[in-house]
Amino acid sequence: MIDLWLTGLSRVLQPDVFLSLAAGVVAGLVGGAIPGITITMTVILVLPFTFGMDPLQGVATLIGVYVGGESGGLITATLLGIPGTASTIATTFDAYPMARKGEPGRAVWLGMWAGLLGGLLAGIPLVIGAVTLASLALKFGPWEYFSLFVLTLSIVSSLSEQSLLKGLVAATLGLLLTVVGSDPLIGAPRFTFGSEYLRTGFPFLAVLVGVYAFAQLMRELEKRHEGQPRLLAAGSASLAISHRRIIREVFQQWANLLRSTLVGLWIGVLPAVGGSAANILAYDQAKKFSRHAERFGTGIPDGIIATESANNANVAGSLITMMAFGIPGDAVSAVMIGALIIHGIQPGPLFISTKPDLAYGMFSAYFLATVLTVPIAAGLLRLLLRVVSVPLQFLVPVILVLGAIGAYAINNLMANVWTFFFFGMLGYVMVKCEFPIPPLILGLILGDQIEVNFIRAIMTESNPLLFLTRPLSGLFLILSAASFAWGILQMRRRAVPGGLPAPSVRG
Amino acid sequence: MVSPPGAWRWILLPVLFLLLVSVPGGHVGAYPERPIRMIVPWAAGGDTDAIMRVAASLLEKDLGVPVVVVNIPGASGTAGAREAKKAPPDGHTIFSVHDYIHTTFYTGVADINYWDFVPVCLLTSTPSIVAVYGRARWRTFRELIEDAKRRPDEIKAGATLGSTSHFFLVLIERKVGSRLWRYVSYEGTAPRMTALMGGHIDVAESNLTQLDKARAGQIRFLALATEKRHPSAPDIPTLREFGVDVVYAVNRGLMVPKGTPGSVVARLEKACESVARDPVFADAMLKQGTDVRFLNRGQYTIFLRENDALNKALAEYVGFKRR
Repeated sequence: MIDLWLTGLSRVLQPDVFLSLAAGVVAGLVGGAIPGITITMTVILVLPFTFGMDPLQGVATLIGVYVGGESGGLITATLLGIPGTASTIATTFDAYPMARKGEPGRAVWLGMWAGLLGGLLAGIPLVIGAVTLASLALKFGPWEYFSLFVLTLSIVSSLSEQSLLKGLVAATLGLLLTVVGSDPLIGAPRFTFGSEYLRTGFPFLAVLVGVYAFAQLMRELEKRHEGQPRLLAAGSASLAISHRRIIREVFQQWANLLRSTLVGLWIGVLPAVGGSAANILAYDQAKKFSRHAERFGTGIPDGIIATESANNANVAGSLITMMAFGIPGDAVSAVMIGALIIHGIQPGPLFISTKPDLAYGMFSAYFLATVLTVPIAAGLLRLLLRVVSVPLQFLVPVILVLGAIGAYAINNLMANVWTFFFFGMLGYVMVKCEFPIPPLILGLILGDQIEVNFIRAIMTESNPLLFLTRPLSGLFLILSAASFAWGILQMRRRAVPGGLPAPSVRG
Repeated sequence: MVSPPGAWRWILLPVLFLLLVSVPGGHVGAYPERPIRMIVPWAAGGDTDAIMRVAASLLEKDLGVPVVVVNIPGASGTAGAREAKKAPPDGHTIFSVHDYIHTTFYTGVADINYWDFVPVCLLTSTPSIVAVYGRARWRTFRELIEDAKRRPDEIKAGATLGSTSHFFLVLIERKVGSRLWRYVSYEGTAPRMTALMGGHIDVAESNLTQLDKARAGQIRFLALATEKRHPSAPDIPTLREFGVDVVYAVNRGLMVPKGTPGSVVARLEKACESVARDPVFADAMLKQGTDVRFLNRGQYTIFLRENDALNKALAEYVGFKRR
């Protein structure tokens, strides 16, 4: 065991692997930070460069991209309020308000340090409990997946501060959008109006970036007339923060950190549940356990610590499923499996025992990437902070162009760019009418999965009561109902004394 | 009197010569003149992607220009097929395809079939396997079939409905002459194998890329749909040994858009053959649980026609046929 670690670590520390891993982290940070380029896309872009490398070097590079990408998403979510990746949607809830209040450095670094700690903590089960955890994940049947996704969606709808009803409307709209395209059962076209393009459904990423980037940036442009020509005033865009104080802040919330790490880890272990759910669920549990739940969304550390530790733990989780069983935990690990296959290695349940040097090399690469992200992000952050203080009339077009390019790059189709613009308009209208955006996005992400798992469950056993009688599935559904009850209660409580709740910055 | 006519000649002649050479040069023996785009209609990291990336790198060696894999996933492979069909027919776009081109057509998912393209060559064949849950009570294929005949509709089979993993199991039902199982929709090999490992389904089509999972006892391979036992897994009996005459595989080949000149197709066919004969390719495919199976364009055309008829019949049999 110890010698395996030593070989793994020494291999990863050799200059060739180390440098490609560091390059991977940089690519991940940049890709994650650019709205419109997801971690999955970055991994796919980097993939061809790994073909010429030896297997460990190649996978280490991709692990670097994966780990770095999560932190890249954090930076954009904090500085622009646009989730750089789908797994940072809930990060925008508190990180962005904190940055706008003049503490961008504190917001980013809270996320960064929470991510590092969450990532390191989640690395422990990756190494010692991978097979056990992955076996547990296999027990999740279609009923459990269905109910878990319903729970996630209920949570994000009831989190909306504007109004529970508006949250539900947005979530329903998201779900309805996923109905467009080929049905998941036999591919019959639905609501495509004869359009060949729509048969694939709306490309999720084009919608995400459209809705967020457009809505967010248009609102900023409106504020220009109120004398805010840039996102961050040049003076406030400072990084002068005390790391010691921030680390202490993170440690003060050790219970939150631990819980969020567990949530992120477990969501990562479950195959086909992405980081977006981990991010939302972690935020929600932090809020529900908190004694000052009403301050969530105003820019408090709790929300940032929860979401970012969950993100990084999610990476370890999907590596667990991938390394223990050769099952992709999410789209990124699917590409990673592809990278291994191209090197003639088919990851499966015997992977760790038959290729221990490679497996321990990958463990080491994960830890190294997690640690390396911090100094690399520090360097990059200085640059990005300067980007954010560019006057809006230059910044906004550039971000929108990047978004359009990202939309095009999904599968090299021009129609995606039009989708991007269309949903940009929709998002803007929604924000204008005070509809929250996150439920729409989550509805769109989870809609297919909810439908597919519902169909699978019914095809497996025609008895619909199983959704309630299977213990975990039943629990998730009860929690969903509780989530709404809690939301209604919160609204009542707020509505009685102070009249209307203060408008939220959350887009 | 400064510039004598002689100096002009020195400039004019080479220019004229270049013009004469370069204008018609576009279609006489110049293929391939720029990088070739290989459309893979599935995501990076999938089986087709992994196989075709190896093929692309070897095609590159033979053709002398880069062969760039472009993944256009979506709509069960239809999005990529549509892009390939639209591409200019000059041999600079090649389309990597497998049996889905027939199934998606007959089930009404797509309006594109193999006849929208010019076949170049068949490259590989990945034999199908009947796999069951690792702790299932059936130790042999016979036990499974007998149990299934006794209680059809109770054993759950996971499959991408209307696609190869579905049709393979239907083919077995047809040869056995009885309904055997109830189908549950699991699209894609990875989700299907995950469900099989978790015991949420009992039976599914698998292939030799999943051998590791079978060796670890998480799934069990009962029978292989090949003519003879396979050298990579000689302990797995064939379906024929149980009296079920089903030989089935996922067959991957290359096509080009309709209208591509014959000389260009011939050049690609030659490159394809050299890939198929390359020991590097054979070695990579062995690790992929895939057999190298080269058919030239004539043979491939016949193969496609027969395969199309079979898939049409199967689509009709399962009641999915829409055209």
